[in-house]
Amino acid sequence: MKRKIAWLLATIMILSLSLCGCGNSAAPVSEEEASTITIWHDKEDAVIQVLQKHLEELCPDVTVVLEKKSNLTEALKMVGNNPTAAPDMYFFAHDKIGVYAEMDILQPITEIIPREELDPYMGNTLEAATYEGQIYQLPIYYETLLFLYNRRYMPDDAVPSTTEELYAYMEAKTNGGHYGFVEQHSTPYYAAGWINGFGGSILKEDGTPGLDDESTIAALEYHKKFASLMPGETEYATVNTLFNEGMAHSTIGGPWLIPTVRESGMDVGVAPMPVIDETQTPISPYMGVQGIQVLKLAAERKPQAVEQVLRACMDQQLEIDLALASGCAPAREDCYSEAAIAEDEVVMAMKETAEHAVPMPNRPEMDVMWTVTGNLLTDVNMSGKDVAESAAKAQEEALQLIEAMK
Amino acid sequence: MTNNGTNKENCKRKDALISYLWAGPSLILIALIVVFPILYTAYISFTNMNVYHWNNYEFVGLHNYVNALLVFDSGFLSALLMTIFWTLVNMVLQLVIAFVLASLLNIKKLRLRNVYKTLLIFPWAMPGYVSILLWKTGMFNSQFGLLNQFLAKLGKEPVRWLGTNTMAFISCTVVNLWLALPFMITIIDGALQSLDKSYYENALLEGATWTQRTRYITVPMIKPIIAPSVVITIFTTFKQFDVIYLLTQQVGSKTGSSLHTILTYAYENAFITNNYGYSSAVSIIIFALLILFTILGERGGKGEKA
Repeated sequence: MKRKIAWLLATIMILSLSLCGCGNSAAPVSEEEASTITIWHDKEDAVIQVLQKHLEELCPDVTVVLEKKSNLTEALKMVGNNPTAAPDMYFFAHDKIGVYAEMDILQPITEIIPREELDPYMGNTLEAATYEGQIYQLPIYYETLLFLYNRRYMPDDAVPSTTEELYAYMEAKTNGGHYGFVEQHSTPYYAAGWINGFGGSILKEDGTPGLDDESTIAALEYHKKFASLMPGETEYATVNTLFNEGMAHSTIGGPWLIPTVRESGMDVGVAPMPVIDETQTPISPYMGVQGIQVLKLAAERKPQAVEQVLRACMDQQLEIDLALASGCAPAREDCYSEAAIAEDEVVMAMKETAEHAVPMPNRPEMDVMWTVTGNLLTDVNMSGKDVAESAAKAQEEALQLIEAMK
Repeated sequence: MTNNGTNKENCKRKDALISYLWAGPSLILIALIVVFPILYTAYISFTNMNVYHWNNYEFVGLHNYVNALLVFDSGFLSALLMTIFWTLVNMVLQLVIAFVLASLLNIKKLRLRNVYKTLLIFPWAMPGYVSILLWKTGMFNSQFGLLNQFLAKLGKEPVRWLGTNTMAFISCTVVNLWLALPFMITIIDGALQSLDKSYYENALLEGATWTQRTRYITVPMIKPIIAPSVVITIFTTFKQFDVIYLLTQQVGSKTGSSLHTILTYAYENAFITNNYGYSSAVSIIIFALLILFTILGERGGKGEKA
């Protein structure tokens, strides 16, 4: 008897193992499937609740499943062209568009929604959504870094309007464990604001690195003196804790930091980015645009449901509600004429910063640039190495890695 | 007589076949979990699978291996030397400290023995990732870490514990010891408990000192018992990635140290490219290196025994 059971179990096991991975065939789409849209996302609950409510109201015929994925980008690489496992759309930042477009799993949005219907969107959000001349994302909201200050230590009239004023403030206030200003000075996403403000770049539009450009080197040289007045370790947790605990008077951080510091009782102010004295341009951080991308498979198999959901996501009221619920800066220009939006200090500060912000490069080459630029910044700001030499070395490494990608 | 012999042989064959049959499901599982990924990686290493050729990848022969050799430059060689040094230092410290602690746990009439054992095993119960980040923020952080809080109380300047290669090496070694010691202590403790006490009684009667007893009885007797665990730990230490990467090189929280083992070096110079063919070729070369070291290690071991 035991032997029979063991045989049975072994057979089941072998059969089930051999059947693994056999579900890759493209079956015809049933009516129920055609009216179900799965959207992967990585957003907080407040954003998703608003989106879900709007989609239910605006697309009553479509069942929209919003599924949170912790490792969305890697999961998409694995299943992006598998009809049984891939989502129909995903709600994510624009910076991975290039990777997925090259993998040929994305459908250009303009093949579903005519280009002229996207005219109400801010120009730089559409620029962010464009890769090799095609728009692959329907923008919903965007984020930029902000200049944040603690009013307890830095009154409104002491907020620096230029970087030299900021440096003078740092020199005066940095002592005894207190810092005039802190930022993640050796993290590319944060340092990019200084580099862009000097007219330099981490990755140029044509996909070549710009680390040893004169303007990038000038930015790194200039930025170094600010880094010297900040703590040695400036990763996310340390910088945010210093600001949150009142040990740093000001910082450059994302809008996501504001609710946390407000909860701790801080009277936090949001100011325009200081203007760099050398170039007369404000610190110009990267802009990340959050929006909907459509997978090619879904566009082919469920065209009507996909279009309905996209059109619902273009609703002006959705973007206004997201701004009110979660401080998301609307991608549609016409939202800013609404009183509720115009009165929101954080959203309007992001709008102002966005005037000079640079869309984060969406090219696949950027994947290697984060690491190389991080090493360059660490060499310059933390190990005190020569800027020009380090930049030349980093440029060479970046070129090698980009070559190795192909 | 001949018939008997043939029957016996047939029986043996049948037994062997049945044994393989019963082991079949497990062998299939091992093949799927261990052998298949290695073979698949080897297959991918001969193709141009990357983001630009995701669905239309082709066989490119040894092209990736030629490119992979570029990774094995002077930077890789210094990373390899660093890896060997890292393995050596960590193994010596692990064995010495684990032996001392296990010996202390075996002192006769030791009170609260189980409490000490539980405390010593505790780091093993925590996920490595959590332990490493706790060490990074809780102990080594220059602003809020416990070590600098102590220094501040003593009126000393704060230290950047992960800021230079030497400091980072020491700090990474401490964390690696914290993570690895429970395993080694458990193994040595078990080995010590299995020793025949009569050898020690005789040695005591002969007037042997503690050092002599350790050198001539304990160490030679536990050596064959702990040998497999030591070999496993050598390879775990050799291919260590988490401790060094999470403490010093995570994107967004680099510390200024440029300490690299072969795996962190390969990660920064190959794996981030999203070129699966190229990264697979680098992985296969590292795999071959590890196999080579295993063979050399085994030969060394056999030579010692002879």
